[in-house]
Amino acid sequence: MGTYLAKRLLLIVPTLIGAAALVFVIMRVIPGDVALLIFGGDTAGQIDAKQLADMRHRLGLDQPLVAQFGTWLWGVLRFDFGTSLWTGRPVIEELLVRLPLSLELALAATLVSVVIAIPFGMLAAVRQDTWIDYVIRVISIGGLAIPSFWVGILCILFLVIWFGWGPPLEFTPPWVDPWANFQQMVWPVVTVGYRYAAVTTRMTRSTLLEVLREDYIRTAWAKGQREWAIVFRHGLKNAMLPVITLIGTEFAFLIGGLVVTETVFTLNGVGRFVVDAVAHRDYPVVQALVFLIAFGFVIVNLLVDLTYAWFDPRIRYR
Amino acid sequence: MARSWGRRVLCTVATLSVVAGLAFAADTPRPGGVLLAVIGADPPSLDPHQESTFATLQLVAPLYSTLVQTDPYAYPKIIGDAASEWKISADALTYTFKIRPGIRFHDGSPLTAVDVKATYDKLIFPPAGTRSVRKSTYSVVASIDAPDPSTVVFKLKHPSASLLGNFASPWNVIYPKKYLDKDPNYFMKNVVGSGPFKFKSYTPGATFEGERNPDYFVKDRPYLNGYKFFISTETSVRAAAIRSGRAYIEFRDLPNADVEAIKKQLGDKVVVQQTPMTGQVGIAINNTVKPFTDVRVRKALTLGLDRYTGGRVLFGITGLRDVGGLLRPSTEFAMAEADLQELPGFGKDPAKNRAEAKRLLAEAGFPNGFKVVLKNRNIRLPYQDFAVFAIQEWRKIGIEAEHRPLETAAWFSDGRDTGNFELIVAPTVEASDDPDVFLERYTTGDANNWGRFSDPAIDDLFSRQSRALDPAERKRTILQLQRRVLENAYYMPGLWWSRSVVHWAKVKNYVAPPNHYANQKLQDVWLSED
Repeated sequence: MGTYLAKRLLLIVPTLIGAAALVFVIMRVIPGDVALLIFGGDTAGQIDAKQLADMRHRLGLDQPLVAQFGTWLWGVLRFDFGTSLWTGRPVIEELLVRLPLSLELALAATLVSVVIAIPFGMLAAVRQDTWIDYVIRVISIGGLAIPSFWVGILCILFLVIWFGWGPPLEFTPPWVDPWANFQQMVWPVVTVGYRYAAVTTRMTRSTLLEVLREDYIRTAWAKGQREWAIVFRHGLKNAMLPVITLIGTEFAFLIGGLVVTETVFTLNGVGRFVVDAVAHRDYPVVQALVFLIAFGFVIVNLLVDLTYAWFDPRIRYR
Repeated sequence: MARSWGRRVLCTVATLSVVAGLAFAADTPRPGGVLLAVIGADPPSLDPHQESTFATLQLVAPLYSTLVQTDPYAYPKIIGDAASEWKISADALTYTFKIRPGIRFHDGSPLTAVDVKATYDKLIFPPAGTRSVRKSTYSVVASIDAPDPSTVVFKLKHPSASLLGNFASPWNVIYPKKYLDKDPNYFMKNVVGSGPFKFKSYTPGATFEGERNPDYFVKDRPYLNGYKFFISTETSVRAAAIRSGRAYIEFRDLPNADVEAIKKQLGDKVVVQQTPMTGQVGIAINNTVKPFTDVRVRKALTLGLDRYTGGRVLFGITGLRDVGGLLRPSTEFAMAEADLQELPGFGKDPAKNRAEAKRLLAEAGFPNGFKVVLKNRNIRLPYQDFAVFAIQEWRKIGIEAEHRPLETAAWFSDGRDTGNFELIVAPTVEASDDPDVFLERYTTGDANNWGRFSDPAIDDLFSRQSRALDPAERKRTILQLQRRVLENAYYMPGLWWSRSVVHWAKVKNYVAPPNHYANQKLQDVWLSED
């Protein structure tokens, strides 16, 4: 286990360097001159060549690509992701403003999803083709079919029209005012959690159904074991591997992928930050965010892999 | 019994006093409170000299002073702001402004004529590496002098009919010279003004806040302790924010359907101010790329738009309603309806217009139409609804347009800065009806000439109208200019806008002007309750 963990941790380094290099190259291949954009993107001849050259020098763009990449990587090693071209503030500062919100949303939506999806998925599998299964399937298919942002807008309209109340427009961290935080976060969590739970419910149901048809389950029935023991002890634990993988991937996605939900609920999260940065051609921010999101994915995947052994003792890490 | 009567009288007097007091209080400005507003876009930068979007101006206008301004209560009357008085010489070639004493920037330094000169130097003669989107509005200015700290003198090359009105533009905020000397682009990311409010915080994509400036040069102003904008590009979210009371006002516009729903739910708790807009939403055609270098193709595009049906269809959801030329219909220099109807795309028979469009396309080598990308701003109201209408109209003449909405910064970059487009939704919205500010964008090389066309006849007409002091002569020239632009379909006007500003009744003393740029200083606005 220790050797496996060490190997996986070491593998993170080349993975991240690869992701960083890819992002770095892509950002320099796509059209657009950062120095020109800083001057307002005006190509009408108002900018003199010396100023432009000075700006390129200041940004280090006159260096060879390898040297630029090395400088950037050295900065990353010191947690210096550069300065936003848009706001003029260090990227890490900008990120720290938004990361708590995105993490809270991702964690809470995951929690909601797990709490709802696993029992309901299990119930649907155990009571396959009964009315319980049909109801759960209809609700979960609804969650997959209806876009989250639309559910979000419906939530807001429902609250406003029926209760004359809307969620706060500004994020308050839970440690500052838990009640204000709850009022704002509960609706996006429900909105995102619904879709997330729908996916997880479907996955739990189908994998559990598969497991429940295995020979060892039939043996357990034949031995006269109780239903709950068969489902929980023998079925659910073995059905969990794909579900855990799904939860991990979804969680990592949620940190940076909730652009539309963040827009609907006026949440200043990482997802909107990425999109805004691309629109503003804010290269240091895009580079840093893609790098950090890749890092998030790698870590979550590692944690998911490590939990496999707990669910399935046959798995050996080498 | 007598005692009881005495009590009743006392009670009645006391009650009347309270009622009268409350009534008086309702009309007497109440200091305090923070005005909460919603806004539909994030600013591309914080420098109004370099931008032309409400997203910049509404956020920062309360932080700055201008030389003169449009009277918040009597558009388009001009009153002083940093300037207490001004004088125009008999030959109309010299404008002298006296700067009000005692104005201080938020960093404590005094605002003097030197700062005004530096500001207008930046606007009119922008240093290399700085953009000034309105410099041609002031091309008439030959020089600016500051002979003493309280006097600014503008010398003109020739008389200008529009200049005083243009000085009142809310975009021309006064910056302290010392920061401009260090970096002429300093104010793209920083704010140091002398307005009624001081900059407090800005979180891009989320909020922008200002707080009361206790040293503001107008005594006892502002009334508010501060203001705070919440940024959301979603129209339904902004409308819901007003309905729920999370925000008290949306200064730009909301769709009529949302306004009606808000009125129905909140009744007299809200007030709706409906005004025509000094602006229209149209489409810029890139005159430098094929096939739009061909006037027949450009004419076909404008002929393909049935503006009259558009006005009926779009008004309810966008506020776009009136068919007009390059200046607001029914205003002093606008084209008469009968004259307008003679021009391509403005005739009232859509079938005839479409037949002519198809004929022109066939003649230009496109008998089956062509495919094109229509770029747009990713703001629904009214940009995207208008584009959807235009696209389905063009389909009727065989032109397949792909709609491509962009973030505000990218939209400006592609449309204004780099010309990276074929067609792009490009409104003309200004802070007044002045012909100089509306028509300069059709001149060669103007920063707002998104279509990048050059017609010496237009340049000449623009220059002549600008210096014509006789209104009749000026009108003749302006009409010729409009005709020239529209006949050649250099630019495609769409529909003129009217707006519905809905706000909570507790927001007092805000009068919606006919655009969403003027009257944004908020110095007289107050809240009757928190």
